[in-house]
Amino acid sequence: MIQFHNVCKAYQKDSSALEDITLTIPKGDFVYLTGPSGAGKSTLLKLLYCAEKPSRGVILVNGQNITRMSSRQIPYLRRRVGVVFQDFKLLNSRTIFENVAFPLEVQGKRRFEVSQKVYQALKLVGLEHKLKKHPLELSGGEQQRVAIARALVIDPQVLLADEPTGNLDDANTAEIMNLFKGANARGSTVVLATHDKAMIRQFPRRTIVLADGRVVSDIVP
Amino acid sequence: MFAHLIYMVRRALRNMRQSPFLCFAAIGTVAVALTILAFFAIIVQNVQNLTAHWSEEVQVVAYIDTLPEERVLNSWQAELRQLAGVQGVQFVSRAEAFSRFKKRMGENADLLDGLNADFLPASLEIALKPEARNQAGVALVLSQLRKNSSFSDLRYGQEWLERFETFVALLRVAGAILGGFLLFATLFIVSNTIKLTLYARKDELEIMALVGGTTAFIKFPFLIEGAMQGVCGGILALGCSFGLFQFFLREGLGTVLLSSGVSQIGFLPFPWQAGLVAAGTALGFFGSLFALRKLVRI
Repeated sequence: MIQFHNVCKAYQKDSSALEDITLTIPKGDFVYLTGPSGAGKSTLLKLLYCAEKPSRGVILVNGQNITRMSSRQIPYLRRRVGVVFQDFKLLNSRTIFENVAFPLEVQGKRRFEVSQKVYQALKLVGLEHKLKKHPLELSGGEQQRVAIARALVIDPQVLLADEPTGNLDDANTAEIMNLFKGANARGSTVVLATHDKAMIRQFPRRTIVLADGRVVSDIVP
Repeated sequence: MFAHLIYMVRRALRNMRQSPFLCFAAIGTVAVALTILAFFAIIVQNVQNLTAHWSEEVQVVAYIDTLPEERVLNSWQAELRQLAGVQGVQFVSRAEAFSRFKKRMGENADLLDGLNADFLPASLEIALKPEARNQAGVALVLSQLRKNSSFSDLRYGQEWLERFETFVALLRVAGAILGGFLLFATLFIVSNTIKLTLYARKDELEIMALVGGTTAFIKFPFLIEGAMQGVCGGILALGCSFGLFQFFLREGLGTVLLSSGVSQIGFLPFPWQAGLVAAGTALGFFGSLFALRKLVRI
């Protein structure tokens, strides 16, 4: 379960990116975060994987107060949280296999286990036949699927995605959404930031709307 | 633990293989910087040899008015040998003094014909240990010698010694300033090159942190990589400086120093060579450490 209690985030003194956010996302839920550019969607996600610290308020992830986490503890939180970035954040010098294996290597998993899990994750996103390729040899949609495989390979408790379909066509969007739905069905709590209203209409789920750093509506279909 | 270390080394090697240009840039910078430092060290080393050679001439000569019995002379010598700072004592008889003088006169030696061979006084030549070849060391020996009234005259080349000490002090200050400057420049250049090579891989560092890498996990392979590049740079610098020494420095220094009395121009001794490679390793390791401190933020 994810809980925000009166969370504020200000990058500068006179302007807040997030203002007094209080919300609860139950375990296993699938939630859209939506709103115009600059509404605070990405900032809210960054708070969840501790890339930013809130200026005020408390955030609990599965009962653990992550706002009080020391920098030594943060890596262990991130090993339970899969993140899919809008710009993919893949290493172009590494193969697809190496990119997806990265989070497992970081955890010190054994080679055999790494190989097995990476293959399974790549199979899940339909790229098991391209594991020796490099990211720049793949299309945008395929690169996004690699980024999703990297997030899924750790069997995350929480899966965060920042505009994962921002640069994709409708066919690719549908494929990517199916991957998120699959992860959610396997037990991951999914929080997906998007401003793609068509996608939300096509795959309706609980939708939290942000504007100027505040929650303006929270709709459960 | 051992398996973990092997994994880190393997990752460091893979990083180097995947970014060969950055790797060669770092090794090259360490090598160039250390070659300059080694060049300076070779010059310092040989100038030190020169001053050590010159300092051998620092000795005290005690002229003996009336030659005592051999037993007494031997006891004086034994006493002097016991003094701190004295390396050896040599008795020079009147005849030997005359023969030396004649030899020194060279072609004009015939001017001495007809002179009595014992017109020069006998003396004790007191050689000093290297650490006592200075004004303080000489003063200590002199104070002991003055207690014996049989020594009519004590000579130690006061003016020469003062000049020599000033020269050595000047050399030390110049060496320290130049060496310090070179060391600082080396540190600055190497740490900035390593910073740039790591900056080029900041995406990798960022992603490692985002997928749950601990600070140690992220930094350690880069530190190993830095140290390995440092070792390679150090060995390369050793090779380059030896090559430059053979082809340029030996002749250049030889022209200046051999005429001043040094028997041969030498390359860096083994401890200095090992020190050069160790310096490369330390430069690579600490250069990476400082750069990573700013680049890796979790």
